Amino acid sequence: MKPAALGPDKDPKERKHNGSILTEIWKHKMTYTLLIPGLIWLILFAYLPMGGLSLAFKHYKANLGIWGSPWVGLENFTYVFRDPTFIDALWRTLYINIIKLVIQFPFPIILAVLLNELRMRRTKKLFQTVLTFPHFLSWIIVSGVVINVLSYDGLVNSSLALLGLPTINFLGSEKTFIPMLLLTDIWKSTGWGAIIYLAAISGIDQDQYESAQIDGASRMQQMFRITLPNILPTVTIMFILSVGGLMSSGFDQIFNLANAATKNVSEVLDVYIYRITFQSSTDFSFSTAVSLFRSVVNMVLLLLADRVAKWMGGDGLFR
Amino acid sequence: MARTKSKYRIGKMTTIDYIIFVLMLVIALFILIPFWNVIMISFSTPKEYADNPLMMFPKNPTLDSYKALFADGSIFRGYWNTLKLLIVGLPLSLFLTSSMAYGLSRNKFPGKKIIFFLVLFTMIFNGGIVPLYLVMKSLHLTGSLWSVILAGSFSAFNMILMMNYFQSLPESLMESARLDGAGEWRILFSVVLPLAMPIMATITLFYGVAYWNSWYDAMIFLRKAEQLPLQNVLRSIIVESTTNASNASSVDAVGKQGFSTGMKMAAVVVTMVPIMCFFPMLQKHFAKGVLTGAIKT
Repeated sequence: MKPAALGPDKDPKERKHNGSILTEIWKHKMTYTLLIPGLIWLILFAYLPMGGLSLAFKHYKANLGIWGSPWVGLENFTYVFRDPTFIDALWRTLYINIIKLVIQFPFPIILAVLLNELRMRRTKKLFQTVLTFPHFLSWIIVSGVVINVLSYDGLVNSSLALLGLPTINFLGSEKTFIPMLLLTDIWKSTGWGAIIYLAAISGIDQDQYESAQIDGASRMQQMFRITLPNILPTVTIMFILSVGGLMSSGFDQIFNLANAATKNVSEVLDVYIYRITFQSSTDFSFSTAVSLFRSVVNMVLLLLADRVAKWMGGDGLFR
Repeated sequence: MARTKSKYRIGKMTTIDYIIFVLMLVIALFILIPFWNVIMISFSTPKEYADNPLMMFPKNPTLDSYKALFADGSIFRGYWNTLKLLIVGLPLSLFLTSSMAYGLSRNKFPGKKIIFFLVLFTMIFNGGIVPLYLVMKSLHLTGSLWSVILAGSFSAFNMILMMNYFQSLPESLMESARLDGAGEWRILFSVVLPLAMPIMATITLFYGVAYWNSWYDAMIFLRKAEQLPLQNVLRSIIVESTTNASNASSVDAVGKQGFSTGMKMAAVVVTMVPIMCFFPMLQKHFAKGVLTGAIKT
């Protein structure tokens, strides 16, 4: 598995023809020292926790630790799938993320094309700065802003009242909470999402536009016949990545925007895992089983989406 | 962005250009107005906010909300803890990321593919919070700011961006440094890094923002309130105290809540200001850095 876009250059002379593997390793001993700090980090904070996933198949006892606790096979998983709150959280997560995937996905593409069509260079830069800014703020800050603007006596409701329209309790009612998740996420992330497409657009060969203009193609035609087809590989990769996140993501947003009134619609899988791990009970084996299930499904979805993209003739994520 | 120089860019503004401009302006205002509103509320008196929540320009700007906020002191503690995260975490992150990125960007050596795969794999699969928590606990790091620093000090995505940038540098530079007798570490620090300022600025921004915004790790690994970084302090000021306020509609709540709204908004502004200052400065770098880093196929 090697990414098409990100992997190191492939070298045809990969196989060395002189010396054994040991002399080759010795020759590069300096290079290995460069890798040691990073590898130590990976082992401690990425791979050791992955080993800790074995807890999902154990009965965790604090005094015995991860490695000493007794194995129980799939027992934790049978409990997980019998828990109705888990099943609810699972469907809710998929529901919210599929809605987000379908509705939100095109926004950055549209924005990138529009920004690209903007002829004034300085203005374009300025717009870009303004639009990407929310991405760099935490959901805590953004929820502060959002709660203020959407609250009962906030900007939006005051404007509605001024226009003689009925006010809406946007974040305080179950009906409007999920649309608000979608709206606030679009607000926060569209500008940043557009950057990657803008980069792809700037990589398009200029000759294509010039010859299209000679043939008398309009701006619209150039947009649909040149710009969009050319960024399709980037679109595919972004789509695969989004599909791979269908079971997670959104924790920060939901955790910070939710309140007592929206408790029933805001418990997605991540919130559920957090709650059963650190708030209600402390059954680490049970919650590890839940998060292992989530990670595996995410990975399978990612690989599936990659397969489908390649099957349809596009560039996948992996070679 | 060679395109800006091409014929396609030159010429008179047509109707479609004006439409696009207006559209972009509306979108930009859609982003800016909520921030403007927050900033203005933080400078207004509670009474004025209660009378006029639309608040685009307060008539009697005041610093009362900020005074009340700073009198509490928790914001200062949060700032200090976040600064500690940045002072220790940023150099560590850059060290881990650049040494590994340089190592992996160098031609070929036995095991390179395996190591690259090990890095890549962490992007699609991870152990999750419980095993990480237990690892931190067994390393006796929970309850210390080190747990938050170490949990966030390496990102595979940033490493790959940087690695791709390093690969775009001409090999002959390192070759000649090697002939002059420089070791790999020396080459990294005195040849590669000075040439990689755009990507260094980008990655610094990414890690810096990540540390600045981190709160989840702190919420889980830290125990004492006085250890918590700024975001956690902000969260306790705005989110936790708003849980019931969003459906508070009783008249007598308005006066009191108006004051606390000002304080909350002041806290939001105080947390946001550093990003507002640094972000436009670094933005021109990251456009370049991400372009060369991500789009090198």
